[in-house]
Amino acid sequence: MSSLVGFLCLVFAVGINIFLIFSKYLLKLKIVSFNILIRLSCILTLASFLSLIYAYLVSDFSNFNVFQNSHSDKPLIYKISGTWGNHEGSMLLWVSILSIYAFFFSFTKKIDLNLKKLTLLIQSFLHISFSLFIIFTSNPFLINSVIVHEGLGLNPILQDPGLAIHPPILYAGYVGYSIVFSLAVASLMHESNDLEWLSIAKKWSLISWTFLTGGIALGSYWAYYELGWGGWWFWDPVENISLMPWITGLALVHSLLLVKGQQILKKWIIFLSILCFSLSIFGTFLVRSGILTSVHSFAADASRGLFILLIFFIITGFSLVVFLLKFPDNNKPVKFLFINKVSALIINNILMIIATLTILLGTIYPIIIEVLTNNRISVGGPYFNSTVIPIMIPGFLLMSIAPVLSWQTNKIKNSYYYIICFILISVIILIQSYLTEFNSWGVIGLILGVWIIIASISAIILSYKLKLNFKFLQNINPHLAHIGVGIAIIGITCSSVFQKEYDYNLNTGDNFIVNEINVVLDKIETKNEKNFQALRANFLIQEENSFKNVKSGKNYYPVSKMITSEAGILHQWDRDIYFILGDQKDEKWFVKVYVNPFVSLIWLGIIIMICCGFIGVIRK
Amino acid sequence: MSLRFQRLLLILVSVIMIFVAVLLILYNGRKNISYFYTPSELASLKIDIDKKVRLGGFVEKNSFIKITASSFKFKISDDLKSIDVAYQGLLPDLFREGQGAVIEGYMTKNNVLNATSVFAKHDENYMPASIKKGLENTGYWNKNY
Repeated sequence: MSSLVGFLCLVFAVGINIFLIFSKYLLKLKIVSFNILIRLSCILTLASFLSLIYAYLVSDFSNFNVFQNSHSDKPLIYKISGTWGNHEGSMLLWVSILSIYAFFFSFTKKIDLNLKKLTLLIQSFLHISFSLFIIFTSNPFLINSVIVHEGLGLNPILQDPGLAIHPPILYAGYVGYSIVFSLAVASLMHESNDLEWLSIAKKWSLISWTFLTGGIALGSYWAYYELGWGGWWFWDPVENISLMPWITGLALVHSLLLVKGQQILKKWIIFLSILCFSLSIFGTFLVRSGILTSVHSFAADASRGLFILLIFFIITGFSLVVFLLKFPDNNKPVKFLFINKVSALIINNILMIIATLTILLGTIYPIIIEVLTNNRISVGGPYFNSTVIPIMIPGFLLMSIAPVLSWQTNKIKNSYYYIICFILISVIILIQSYLTEFNSWGVIGLILGVWIIIASISAIILSYKLKLNFKFLQNINPHLAHIGVGIAIIGITCSSVFQKEYDYNLNTGDNFIVNEINVVLDKIETKNEKNFQALRANFLIQEENSFKNVKSGKNYYPVSKMITSEAGILHQWDRDIYFILGDQKDEKWFVKVYVNPFVSLIWLGIIIMICCGFIGVIRK
Repeated sequence: MSLRFQRLLLILVSVIMIFVAVLLILYNGRKNISYFYTPSELASLKIDIDKKVRLGGFVEKNSFIKITASSFKFKISDDLKSIDVAYQGLLPDLFREGQGAVIEGYMTKNNVLNATSVFAKHDENYMPASIKKGLENTGYWNKNY
């Protein structure tokens, strides 16, 4: 029953959107009724999505999708998150978020009414394309042809609280760019020269970027403690795909700062807006088509891939054609000064685009080679590390001082102070690392991180009067965001360069020493949980006079006959001690231990960036 | 500095950055690409000892030997040929006999693949596209798998 309701709601929503597109040519709808119809279509789409959630909640196995991906003894939260833990449901989530964005956008004031209508129409078109994709190739409301009383269960690796909210947040990021995209294309078609839409685009692109950051961070945090590989970023194709719109989105957010009357960048901004959303769709295509080998590939199906590819070509092709035909003329050439904010932002944009292209190349290179030569290759993580990171380094250097550069002149205030400061930091870190453990990447990363933090703090102190109110917070927001980046860079550098790895073969009761810390493999026990069996090794870690407990082990899920590893992590502010329980032979257990220094700084930095993102949205 | 000179400088910097990026891509691309083979392909080819390769196929039934809790020997097969693999470290959770796996590593002189990493199939419906392709070519691929 809920399947039928859900399907009908989805179809009705498409009907409304088709009506909207035709109404532009047949009858002149007033903006009020236009808004109401957009909101109605959003409510219908949400109703459709909620009815799918309902089917999952009550374990309605007459729905084929529920039967394939759920099981009646799953905990409540995973019944709900199971809705988007599969291809069909996740596409419905995608469309729901698309319509939620349209819903909120319909409340925008201070915008030319025709521009608003056009934007919503493009949004409707996107809604129709993706809804048709769902209806024809991946319908989550199919009825099960046989009567069953139990489902097949959710992939156990997805049964995790972090991963339950990862897809909605990530999609909120991806799909958010649709509004920016629609606005940009609409402004081209509208051919008006006013720049109001840019400040609206700025808000939406910042919202999307913030959600995307949160989504990616949740995903990599999940990979960190769930996959048990000791790291948090693996240059997996899906990670790369999410990183591309993220970097382009970052470039977009920064170039939107330059709006203040600079026509030349308007062209660039429109191009970036199109690129961001195109990369989001392209990512969806690569993941869903199963062309790329990855943790995230759901069952591959050629027709699905083709359909999304078609949508991708229509949307990107159409927008690029509009872009080429109608792009605004330059009537105000920019004054390029070498050392000023504009050129710093331009260089930063170029760097980000180069980095995106590098990642894109590494990700799709295997596909191109296979098509051309029939050889199958894979591009390893080291490629990305040794290409993307050096490309980004000048950008990071620039970032530390860019906020204090002036808009008009060629001078930096207090330049001597910054130069001395930079040299001092470099010398201190060089000496310090010679005395402890020298690694050139480590030195570069640490200098960059510390320099960004100190330069940003100095900039705050030198350029603003300290006050304790929200206005002050808004003013120093960009600097705060950059401090977040600096903190994250220190975390990333330390945790990857100075990571230590230890292997042990242990009996229960054995003592071992990790990085000068005494650890005991206390006992190994099994326990029955709601839908899995847990095997846990208990490690006792001696800290001065007290002991800390860490449990690490494996879960066995009888429904899907799968085992997942559960890493045990002792979180401390300056390091994580990361235990993985391996195989057993003759009473001896294999235990792998990683010591990851300063991982917590990565998450702290990202949280700061996300907070700054939200403060920036509130900012007028 | 004149405006014109500064603009030139900006363009110059951009060109240099792009040039460096291209160099980096070419240099690292050559170093970090590994070729993917099925066991029959690997058996028929002479592979350099210091070249990283990827091997995809099924873990042969009854070939898995646990030497210690952390070092293993097994065979990867495509039903025509099989390749001996030696591995030290943690095996992925889904590694099982009869299931698909991808091995990355270096060939040794006595035709054993010294694995640096082992990847296993991620769920019951999931099969890396590269393995599927290889197996379809050799006729082993079973659609209902």
